[in-house]
Amino acid sequence: MRRISHWKALTAATMTGALVLTACGGAGGAKPAADKPVDSLKFYNDKGGWKDAFTQVGAASKKDIAVGMEPVGYSDSNTYTAFIRSSFRTKEKADLFSWHTGKELEDLVDQKLVAETTEQWTKAVADGNVPEQLKQYFTFDGKQYCVPLNAGYWVMYYNKSVFKKAGITENPKTWQDLIAVADKVKAAGVKPFYQTSILFSFVWFETLLAGKDPDLYDALAAGKAKWTDPGVVEVMNDWKKLIDAGYFSDPGAKTEPQAQLKNGDVAMVNFGTWFSGSLNTLKLKAGTDYDFFVIPNVNPALPKTSMIFETGPLCSAAASEHSSTVKKWTDWWVTPQAQTAWANSRGDLSFNPKAEVKDTGLAALNKDVSGDGYRLINRWFEATPVPVANKALEVFGAFVTKPGDPMPGLKKIQAEADAYWAKQK
Amino acid sequence: MRRVGGSSRTGARAAPLFGLPAAGVVALLLYLPFLWTTYVSFTQYDGLASPVWAGLANYQAMFSDPDLIGALLNTLLWVVGMVTLPVVLGLLVAVLTYGHRWGSWLRLPFLLPYAISGVAVGVIWGFVLQPDGALGQALGFLGLPGAHTGWLQSGPGNTLMMIVAVTWQAAGVNALLFVVGLQSIPNEPLEAARLDGADGFRLFRHQLWPQLRPITTVVVGLSIVGSLKTFDVVWVMTQGGPGTSSETLALSMYKETFVLNDYGQGAAIALFLSLVTFAASILYLRYQLGDAREQA
Repeated sequence: MRRISHWKALTAATMTGALVLTACGGAGGAKPAADKPVDSLKFYNDKGGWKDAFTQVGAASKKDIAVGMEPVGYSDSNTYTAFIRSSFRTKEKADLFSWHTGKELEDLVDQKLVAETTEQWTKAVADGNVPEQLKQYFTFDGKQYCVPLNAGYWVMYYNKSVFKKAGITENPKTWQDLIAVADKVKAAGVKPFYQTSILFSFVWFETLLAGKDPDLYDALAAGKAKWTDPGVVEVMNDWKKLIDAGYFSDPGAKTEPQAQLKNGDVAMVNFGTWFSGSLNTLKLKAGTDYDFFVIPNVNPALPKTSMIFETGPLCSAAASEHSSTVKKWTDWWVTPQAQTAWANSRGDLSFNPKAEVKDTGLAALNKDVSGDGYRLINRWFEATPVPVANKALEVFGAFVTKPGDPMPGLKKIQAEADAYWAKQK
Repeated sequence: MRRVGGSSRTGARAAPLFGLPAAGVVALLLYLPFLWTTYVSFTQYDGLASPVWAGLANYQAMFSDPDLIGALLNTLLWVVGMVTLPVVLGLLVAVLTYGHRWGSWLRLPFLLPYAISGVAVGVIWGFVLQPDGALGQALGFLGLPGAHTGWLQSGPGNTLMMIVAVTWQAAGVNALLFVVGLQSIPNEPLEAARLDGADGFRLFRHQLWPQLRPITTVVVGLSIVGSLKTFDVVWVMTQGGPGTSSETLALSMYKETFVLNDYGQGAAIALFLSLVTFAASILYLRYQLGDAREQA
């Protein structure tokens, strides 16, 4: 019996060792494969709810360039990110995948995992299909990577019947007007603004800081200002005053913002233009049931209106074996034809100014923002490095739930920022 | 035991060969990920570049980070909560309904929530406990205080409320296990005790409780292990917040790995959590079984 146990143990140990070695040998990057054109591409994305719109776009591309696109949507962003990151350590490379600009894209570029798109960018900008000012979010060391997937501006959505009930006839043009509108809504028994303690807890911090001191906003994102600076503390205190005055909805509510707006539980929701798509899904009509206005600056002395802007990249793995098909498809994607199909399938904006957006409100906004009166501000979520953003989200979540002295929370974020920026030098 | 005959000796020699596929599957799916996680816990690894050896840095960071210490305390609160509330409630339900004519029907409502997944429990209780949720509305309707309490909005109250939510789900299955334990108790000593005048609490204290010990060991053991890895309900109800006020170690592990892409830190928490679970189980079982042996 004793001999057999030893034998068993030896077998198990050998097998485990062999497996470990196999696993260690298996990890690592794959070599670029020979190009194999295909007639359909899989598009991995973390926008599971946009499946119908993507499917319509896939059908349009099949018709236009004989290359289809099949969306593979994830609804949980963390699961999706982990999936894409780990896919780079296997032989299966994603032909098309959605990602985030900022540090998340930089990580992939640093490891040479995404395909360069400099030539495509040069052409798209020259053709007027992609605005020049978008380029910076896709540029690393002078080269471009990925193409834009979407673009959105952050505006104030409002429930038209609540505004009517509160006797509001004109959209606010100044911050003072906005507060006056909020007061009227409050008097009508409706919470003026939507707020949440999870993920989108940053929205009001972003709006207040960008509308008060956009230079400080940019400096903070770049690690050139401190979270404990007087300007930031002031914004936190302004935020606290608004919360204390009862302007916000309950941050712990589980009901989705679109449902809260539809039900008239809140009058206004400060969100990106993709929110139109979410409202349309609830059978609300733009211009009839809901509308939006540009959020005025907190500081009226600023020369331009701060407009929070976000864009997401559509990328391809560097070692994709379908690279020629990917290029053909992404070349098509930036054209006005493709972008018209895309914008109208979701009721959203497009990054391409030549796309014919059916939603008149969104089309007017797109035109307006490309004019001189606006300063585009990169959305806080993309502008802030991941560990700093995560710590700040925790602090904001606690702050909106129980607003108090902001300093202890800001110190926590600054400690995280110090650690992060020290590693970058 | 000595084996007689050549065929059985051959069989004994061949036996490990038959076990190989199973051993291979276990090695591939359990040992290998465990070894890999152990290795990663000593590295800086973002899931993209190759892991870089970092020694004990992740473990040092773990014990100096106040948020992780908070998560550790919340996890301990879960352990204490889960070995008391659902176990005591399960025991009460089992003892009070056992032998009753309608016993199984009376236990049924307690057992039904066990059929629901942890995530669904989180969603349901999230709606019950949200401000102006079902609980707040009920309190308001009855004119009782606390209608506008933010049950999930500050720690450690939010963790306690989530323990209540899980108790709602787990008490029934504990009751079922205790009933199985009660059924295995021989009738004669109970009859004898009853003849001697033991009844009610005295009968429970001196006859039932000591004989329920093996099943109590199982129930409490399962509760300890289950509570140490608490994740789903917390993730659904508060995502560990507001701030990190309701974060447990399992949540910290997830956040470090999949939100912050700090796989090394996540692996260190995973390994620490596994060791704590393993050590708690061994210590508890050894203590319980040791006591049982002494009594025997």
